Amino acid sequence: MAIGARVEVNVKDSLEIWAEKYRPKRLDDIIDQRHVAERVSAFVKERNVPHMMYAGPPGSGKTTMALCVAEELFGETRRQNTLETNASDERGIDTVRRKIKDFARIRTIGDVPFKLIILDEADALTSEAQQALRRTMESFTRTARFILCVNYSSRVIEPIQSRCAVFRFKPLVKEDTMAFIDRIANGEGLKLDPEAAEAVIHLAEGDLRKVANLLQAAAAKGKGVTEATIYDVAAQARPDDVRVMLESALEGNFREAREKLLDMLYTQGLAADDILREIHRQIYSLDVSEQQKVRLLEKLGEFEFRVSQGGSEHIQLEAFLAQCLLLAKPQR
Amino acid sequence: MIRLIADSTWVRKHRPRSLAEFVDQKQAVDRFLTWIKRWKPGNKPLLFYGPSGVGKTALVEAYAEEAGLDLVEMNASDFRSASRIDEVLGRSVMQASLLGKPRLFLIDEVDGLAGREDAGGVDAIMKLMKASKHPIVLVANNPYDAKLRAIRYGSELVAFRKLAVLDIMKTLEQACNKEGIQADKELLRLVAARSEGDLRSALNDLETLGRGQTILREKDLNSLGFRERETSVFDALRTLFKASSVMSARMALDGVDKTPDELFQWIESNIAEEYEDPAEVAKAFEALSFADLFRQRILSTQNWKLLAYSIDMMTGGVALAKKEAYRKFTKYRYPDLLMILGRTRFQRAASQAAFRKLGTLLHCSTSAVRWEFLPYLRVMAENPRFRKELAEALEVDEEGLTALLGLREGRGSRPQGRASILNGVI
Repeated sequence: MAIGARVEVNVKDSLEIWAEKYRPKRLDDIIDQRHVAERVSAFVKERNVPHMMYAGPPGSGKTTMALCVAEELFGETRRQNTLETNASDERGIDTVRRKIKDFARIRTIGDVPFKLIILDEADALTSEAQQALRRTMESFTRTARFILCVNYSSRVIEPIQSRCAVFRFKPLVKEDTMAFIDRIANGEGLKLDPEAAEAVIHLAEGDLRKVANLLQAAAAKGKGVTEATIYDVAAQARPDDVRVMLESALEGNFREAREKLLDMLYTQGLAADDILREIHRQIYSLDVSEQQKVRLLEKLGEFEFRVSQGGSEHIQLEAFLAQCLLLAKPQR
Repeated sequence: MIRLIADSTWVRKHRPRSLAEFVDQKQAVDRFLTWIKRWKPGNKPLLFYGPSGVGKTALVEAYAEEAGLDLVEMNASDFRSASRIDEVLGRSVMQASLLGKPRLFLIDEVDGLAGREDAGGVDAIMKLMKASKHPIVLVANNPYDAKLRAIRYGSELVAFRKLAVLDIMKTLEQACNKEGIQADKELLRLVAARSEGDLRSALNDLETLGRGQTILREKDLNSLGFRERETSVFDALRTLFKASSVMSARMALDGVDKTPDELFQWIESNIAEEYEDPAEVAKAFEALSFADLFRQRILSTQNWKLLAYSIDMMTGGVALAKKEAYRKFTKYRYPDLLMILGRTRFQRAASQAAFRKLGTLLHCSTSAVRWEFLPYLRVMAENPRFRKELAEALEVDEEGLTALLGLREGRGSRPQGRASILNGVI
């Protein structure tokens, strides 16, 4: 690795996360999504981009594309001219009213015609916030352009969609993932046998962030990156709190399951939405009969509905765990 | 040094006078001893932290007494400005001890400083820490208070844990012996358990009960009106869980001095203590789930007539989930939610801030940081160099990082299935 290359970075950037380090900086560097990159590139060259919406699965490069656009439009003044907001952290109307408006209102720095507002996970915005956003997009079109990144475009209200050029991001194919693995391996001087690469491709399921994390964690173990280390990392990194909780409940140990739930909610501070999603994902592979999975899914749906009706997450999730008890195999 | 607590209180009277008498906290004691034996000017002070009444101050006092040190104590929360700190401590920190005895400084309740009005208080303490010719021990409940960051970095952190019920019981027993009191084991156990690991409050409670007595029985808890409210909650829960009609379950809560919301939590925390059959637990929680929905409906519609249904579900619904009443004595527990929330608030706020920082660095949401990066960061952090870089980027120390990554003591170990914080059983 080039040692001199790190002289200029400030302290904060000294933390090297490969997912960030190997994020393409320019549109031309983007391996996949060429169909989008080329059209976006044409806009950027004319220095006039429309409001855009990037829709596609996680890890398919939406945020990266947006950051590349900012980089190519603004270069050195990127930080001053770009506002990056993640709607999943600030989903309320206040974000749109204050943060976004305030930023859009101020004049641009340097000889750029407009500022860029990147709204990541915009489909997490509440519907009031989306209504407010729609007006903001309209009134500040002259000074600001928006890029909205979403998983599902259907969760964004029509009027916003109609104000944007919508680009669909495809899930990555194996070759794209392989190209990214090569890029990291070359950059870091990693020796990686074909089986290890296969394992990464298999585990990452087209999510490049996961590719980078798997490789970095495996390399951090310092024993060379082999198929075994990759699977080892994957096993270690599996978010197993939810699984442990479900298994305790299915073994009939409600107290332990409940402790785990409270630990996740209140000690770790995990969002109930995320826990619900993870439970949902885990149910498919639980060690219960298929009939029972259907019953669990039905129950989970019911309790998630109750949460959406204003029920407390803690109580409703507990009630779900209590339902799992009913499937417990008789002990002793 | 003026002490507010007169020497005659039991807390004072039965304090440890040497490290041999000191209860538990083995790790902290070891770290303290290593530190003080190797101390020379320029070394970092220690910052003791942990819940109240677990021996932070007592450790220093016991050691000073045993080793014959000249102990200079100061309660930081009494001195709200830089000039007062300087006045009280400044000179003595710089000078050699008059009596020729080695001197040790104890600055208590440092987190009491962290108010806005403490003009320069933190700076003044930092100055003392750097210039001191004597060892200094700082004491705080919550070292992760943002205002204490500088102090935290300038010192070595030593954690104190909640004491185990058994350890507290032992100390209470010794106190009883010295006071010539014959006490029921069960009574001591209850006093110890309700202190939630706080030896000081347990001793205070014991004193309230035992002053002038020679015999203490379990029923004295009631006859003294000791914690009367909670006792009656326990009785109410007992009646509720054994009830066989909706009406009697509802009536069980009559006269309990608690709001419906509080009662809800008491019931919720005790369903699994009472019921053993999974089907009963499931049914009881189903009823509670509806009680909860009614509560929310009341809040959103302000239709308080619905409260009756919410209470029906949480009493009758829960009581009738069982096939028949259990003939056993259940030790009901305090609702754990409030306890957990209080105890973990700082940790959660600190994690949230750190995950935001990572989110900015990595261009993603805090939720993505938690679910998609954190599991891998745990693995990467097994590598010492990465661990160091991560701590620097997040501006946390080793312990902060351990807490943040959700690792328990010991490097790189995985989070354990059991959360020890939930063991506040009574």
